[in-house]
Amino acid sequence: MNRLTSRQRKLVYLGVIVVLLAPIIILGRPKSGTGATADQGVLAQMRTRYDLGENQLGQVDPTSAAMNLVLLGFRGIAADLLWSQADENEQTKNWAELRANVDAIIMLQPHFVRVWQFQGWNLAYNVSAAWDLVADRFYWVKEGAKFLKKGRDINDKIAQLPYEEGRVLGTKIGRADEWKFYRAYFKKDPNEEAFKGGPDPELNPKGTDNYLAAKDVYLVANELQKARPDTIQMLDVLFRSYPYRSQLNYADALQREGHFDESSQTAWEEGYREWVEKFGQEKFYGPNGPYHLEMSEHDMGDMAEAQGKDVDAFTRWVLQMQNETRYPYWKFRSQAESAKLMVDAHKLIYDGEKQFVKGNLSTARDLLFRGMTLYEQLFAKYEVLTSDDEALEEAMTAVYYWQRILKLEFKPIPAQFPLSVVYANHQGILPLIESRFKRETGQD
Amino acid sequence: MNFDPRAFDIVQGVGTWLKVMGACAILVLVASLAASFGLGLGGPVRVFRQLFSAIRDISEISLRRVWALAVLTAREAIRRKALLVFGLFAILFMFGSWFLSGGGEKADIQIERHVVFVFTAISWLVLPVVLMLACWGIPEDIKARSIHTVVTKPVRRVEIVLGRMLGFTLITTLVVGVMGVAGYIWIDRQISREAHGQLLCKVPIYGKLSFLDRQGQPASIGINVGDVWTFRSYIEGSTKATAIWDFERLSEASLMPISTKDQGETRGLRVQTGFESFRTHKGVMNSGLLCQLTLVNPATSLRVPLPAFEVAEYRGDANVTPVPATLTYYDSEARKSKTVDLVKDVIADGKLKIEARCLNGEQFLGMARPDMFIRTADRHFAVGFFKALSGVWLQAVVIVMIGVAASCFLKGPIATLMTFAVLIVGQSFRTMIDKIVSGDQLGGGPFESIYRMVTHLNQTVDLDLSKTVTGTIKWTDWISQQGIWLVQQTFPNFSYFGMSPYVAKGFDVDFRAAILPSFAVALAYFIPCVLLGYFALKLRELESK
Repeated sequence: MNRLTSRQRKLVYLGVIVVLLAPIIILGRPKSGTGATADQGVLAQMRTRYDLGENQLGQVDPTSAAMNLVLLGFRGIAADLLWSQADENEQTKNWAELRANVDAIIMLQPHFVRVWQFQGWNLAYNVSAAWDLVADRFYWVKEGAKFLKKGRDINDKIAQLPYEEGRVLGTKIGRADEWKFYRAYFKKDPNEEAFKGGPDPELNPKGTDNYLAAKDVYLVANELQKARPDTIQMLDVLFRSYPYRSQLNYADALQREGHFDESSQTAWEEGYREWVEKFGQEKFYGPNGPYHLEMSEHDMGDMAEAQGKDVDAFTRWVLQMQNETRYPYWKFRSQAESAKLMVDAHKLIYDGEKQFVKGNLSTARDLLFRGMTLYEQLFAKYEVLTSDDEALEEAMTAVYYWQRILKLEFKPIPAQFPLSVVYANHQGILPLIESRFKRETGQD
Repeated sequence: MNFDPRAFDIVQGVGTWLKVMGACAILVLVASLAASFGLGLGGPVRVFRQLFSAIRDISEISLRRVWALAVLTAREAIRRKALLVFGLFAILFMFGSWFLSGGGEKADIQIERHVVFVFTAISWLVLPVVLMLACWGIPEDIKARSIHTVVTKPVRRVEIVLGRMLGFTLITTLVVGVMGVAGYIWIDRQISREAHGQLLCKVPIYGKLSFLDRQGQPASIGINVGDVWTFRSYIEGSTKATAIWDFERLSEASLMPISTKDQGETRGLRVQTGFESFRTHKGVMNSGLLCQLTLVNPATSLRVPLPAFEVAEYRGDANVTPVPATLTYYDSEARKSKTVDLVKDVIADGKLKIEARCLNGEQFLGMARPDMFIRTADRHFAVGFFKALSGVWLQAVVIVMIGVAASCFLKGPIATLMTFAVLIVGQSFRTMIDKIVSGDQLGGGPFESIYRMVTHLNQTVDLDLSKTVTGTIKWTDWISQQGIWLVQQTFPNFSYFGMSPYVAKGFDVDFRAAILPSFAVALAYFIPCVLLGYFALKLRELESK
């Protein structure tokens, strides 16, 4: 049968290996130096052309690549086991091992965007909620954001990951129930020993506000979305609005914290400028051709005609997009917030609530009443405010506090008072205001 | 994972071992006698002759010969490049820190991750190496006929088995020892300066936990707040719900140097808690739930309330309540302050009761037995670390014993597979088999399960058969469960050997809960493995490759 000796057979195998290796090397030869793709092999060129190489997805982590090679074809099984372990560790509150599992999972699946998305969100939202102390919760919110940041470093062409990171930095830190603490911690980390009273440099190297940090990350997301719009499922107008919304949220947060000075005014002005002059002027492509959001209905008609499109369909689409992004609302709001009447109303209500917590009931009653009066004037002056949830909540909260003071003082609530109509028409949001009142004041 | 160290019952352990050994010995003897009849009437006589010869061989073991064989085995292992495992270990540790250290990571998380990494690395590297060495040694010797040079010398077969086991154990000791020392130094260097203070071993005294419900009536457990993990149960705040720990064996020696607000540096008990908070509303967000501990003298019922403290959930050592030796408290019944001596007035015959209550209305505190303990003098981190390392070492030794015994009657690959199967079953499938054996598994035993599968009967529905048939099925299942129990007991319980959670969570390794059972398991396998290896080697045809 086979007359070759064992050694001869091995030499034949070696020869065949070398022969087979030669075309693979020639065809798959990578690019050498910094020149164009000319010196690449055919396979390597095709890989570059069709974005098929792993390095086209982002950075290639040598450890992760080595681990996947060592596992041969068992990467899927190993990842499954780790997911189930992570689940078990989360259920049994074994946080250190959960974190280690999550790190190991992403070693195995470094370019699986959903893993980054899910685990980043899991750490920032679910794990953080499982802890009791606010500083500990903040630690896990940061862990989620750091995880997403690492994800975007490894997948530097995916717009979804900086967007998710922006959501944690912006919405989670700025809008959670603990937002007052979180926002402060973002600038001055509670881990004094490690960060010496400063921010965590990994997430906030500039020591800035969380919304401004989120804005920077959203801008990165926008750049990536521009290069590869097909990777994002969300409406492009909505996705691209986030950096500008962050600026507006920043201004709003300053006011929520009681800054009714130049800082908040400048923030609103900057917000208005960016919203109208940058975001409003961006060119988007709808089913009826290109458009931008800073357009009146008249402009829409003109543009549709100029492009030879159906005016109604064009206008309907642009109006719909304006509504999706709440473009007119934010334009109006950022403009109105700079107005003195608005600033005064906010300040009076804010100060009134603070005085209530301190127990200065008569001062609080007076401040709130004056705030309510100004708010009523604002509602009369700017009709759009009557459909604005935040304005309504603020107005209703002022009335709620004012009525609580009257009850505490054993005084009757008059039939007519400023904002009485608004208060009567929006009883549906009272439970929300009651729970917020309970939280802010510690009273039932 | 539930971290709840329970003392090992050595008497029960020895009893179980005797039962299993007896059952196995009877089974083997009966089978041998039955088979021996094939050789005619002289068969059983030969069986007993072999037994007597075994007793003689064992009683005449020469430690010198065993040691000589052990040294040869160790040399052979080194020649087979077993020590190359150090190279892999070095690579792991050179790069491990890239993926473990995160800036600003919590100290306890940092320590836990590093400790778990070191122990996982050592186990994963050592166990496969010793498994291969142990399983391939004798088959290779038989294949290469080099075993003839040994068996033709005045060496007993039992000495060959013992020499092999001892030799591989020596190599295991060297590898685990070097890796352990390197791992220890690595952890010490990798842990950030801030976390170094927490690199220690707490020595706890645990109590017995019981509950009172919200009406103050005794209850076996607290409230279930809907957590999937039922390890802890909860007490409701501002009600009579109380968790009570009964401690024993306390004395003057349990008092440690402590620092209190009122008394400054003094001596007293360190009561550490690890309660979980469950809020039904946010409450005061930036402060933990309030908990109050009350010391109760079990003999006189004297009650000494301690100042309430805020629970710092999952923060381990941040939850230590110092209880000074001289306590001043306000007696609400007598309406005056009183001073008592902790050892004389509150602890009775070494016994002390500590009650825990939650003070916030509509909020809950979750607790399990190990969530409160008296913390005696801490030990150096190295103490716990090397004790936990002994767990890895002992597990490797058990693998060596099983591997050598298997290699005496199986060829290399089959012996490897068998030992690997024992390792996997002993490590991972213990809980599942426990459920089957105890009858807790839904759907009953094997026969009931077959009936349910065939008739598509739900696991939770009663059997739709006559009383007699149901009884017969249950009885046959019970018989088969005893068989499964016997099989289960022949697999080592490796759960005792995993001692790294102690060190990872900052505790000293408990002797009675971990070290004693580990040694007991190792010893329990030593005798049957030596006997199995000896008889297999004695009775097999060594010319058969």
